[in-house]
Amino acid sequence: MESVNRTYNDDMHHWGRLFTWIALGLILMVPLCYCLTAGVMPLWSKLPECLMFILGYLAIGLVEALSYAPLLGTGGQYLTFITGNISNLKLPCALNSQSIAQVKDGTEEKEIVTTISIAVCSIVTTIVIVLGLIPLAIFQDKIVNALLPISPYVVPAIFGGLTCVLASRYLKIAAVPFVLCILLCVIGNVAGMGAAFNQGTMILVGMAVSAVTTTILYRRGNL
Amino acid sequence: MSETFTIIYVMGGIIAALIVAMSLFFIFKSVRRAKEIGMDMSVIKETVRNSAIFSIVPSIPIVIGIGIMMQYLGLGISWIRLEVIGALQYEIIAMNQVVTPGQVITYVTVATALVIMTLSILSGPVFNAIFYKRYQHRLAELQQKNEHLMNTLTGALLGGLFSGILSAMLVAGIFTIGTPVVAKDTGVAFYGEVTLITFFVSCLIMVACGLCMKRFSWKWMESYALPITIVGSLLAAYVAVMYVE
Repeated sequence: MESVNRTYNDDMHHWGRLFTWIALGLILMVPLCYCLTAGVMPLWSKLPECLMFILGYLAIGLVEALSYAPLLGTGGQYLTFITGNISNLKLPCALNSQSIAQVKDGTEEKEIVTTISIAVCSIVTTIVIVLGLIPLAIFQDKIVNALLPISPYVVPAIFGGLTCVLASRYLKIAAVPFVLCILLCVIGNVAGMGAAFNQGTMILVGMAVSAVTTTILYRRGNL
Repeated sequence: MSETFTIIYVMGGIIAALIVAMSLFFIFKSVRRAKEIGMDMSVIKETVRNSAIFSIVPSIPIVIGIGIMMQYLGLGISWIRLEVIGALQYEIIAMNQVVTPGQVITYVTVATALVIMTLSILSGPVFNAIFYKRYQHRLAELQQKNEHLMNTLTGALLGGLFSGILSAMLVAGIFTIGTPVVAKDTGVAFYGEVTLITFFVSCLIMVACGLCMKRFSWKWMESYALPITIVGSLLAAYVAVMYVE
């Protein structure tokens, strides 16, 4: 990023790391506080049984951190990997803001817009969640029963609109990976393994396929 | 439902305060930098407004997720788990490593589930804390050597992300038309036809918003197009679910 001022970027890294270590400390304290208050110890014997599950999710987390980094910007990366909800909330929010602001790739303006977008998103989400706790505490069943039927459809609701916004910009790059991913999913579903070809898996597969096809197209001079 | 201790609510409050403080700090730093490089402040104000409006509706499913998890882990722990990195489906799967269906939930099972959930999400933040700066400098060097390649690769990652999400969503939708799938963790029935209806209604509403912006010069609609699209398509989903049920 030739136009990113190094002092600003290094500053974001400094504070991002500091906040991340504090957040990690707090997150690790939660099970500790629970155990001390309840006067119990976890069943440590369960950990070896769950080892493959834990290692699997650690690997997914690492791959996500590597692959989302170019998309989230410096500040956005630190914030997002503390607050989560990347592909369904933070990233679409950032993309929407970038599109409206019409910022160019690789510029400091884009970095700033992305960071602010993700930061505002994090604040609003935190407020919505805190406000939501009160009715949940009182009316848990009624709220969950009313809203649960449409909760699986939030992602199609977001990505239908977002696809229309970004299609023209990324159509050339995404056409081949999209077709390949569709084929993979169809084969997986026909083979009875539809559950394995879920959104989480296909995001990583899609990124890998896209990186390969884009590199081929780039070397051929088609991009 | 598991009891929540006061200390857990306090921890949740502290974490929420940290998230808000960190976000405000980054906003402050970014706005200051924007002024230094002469960015138009109206772009910044627009970004804040767009992001705030956009974030409201997609945050509601997180609250629903807390409602689902609190049956097992209580309100406080569910709040903390969904407040920080980790989505509902991962947390439920982590919990199911310890809690078997029908099992009475005790303090020990909650403590064990909490440890597993916490350990599983550490890699992303730890990578950021230790390696991200070095990784980003490598990406920046690549950007300087070959900006076009770097921008192309960034576009490739984004294109790949969209390809992955859309392919999984659309194909699962097509294959489950007429044969709803019930999620084991939530008990919610997933109708393929409703997924497809929601997606295409979302596309249509966004196209309609775009046409209005062009035809009537409704510049104001830029900030509201995506939230309008989300709310409109979720309403369509609600009607569709009522119809298929």
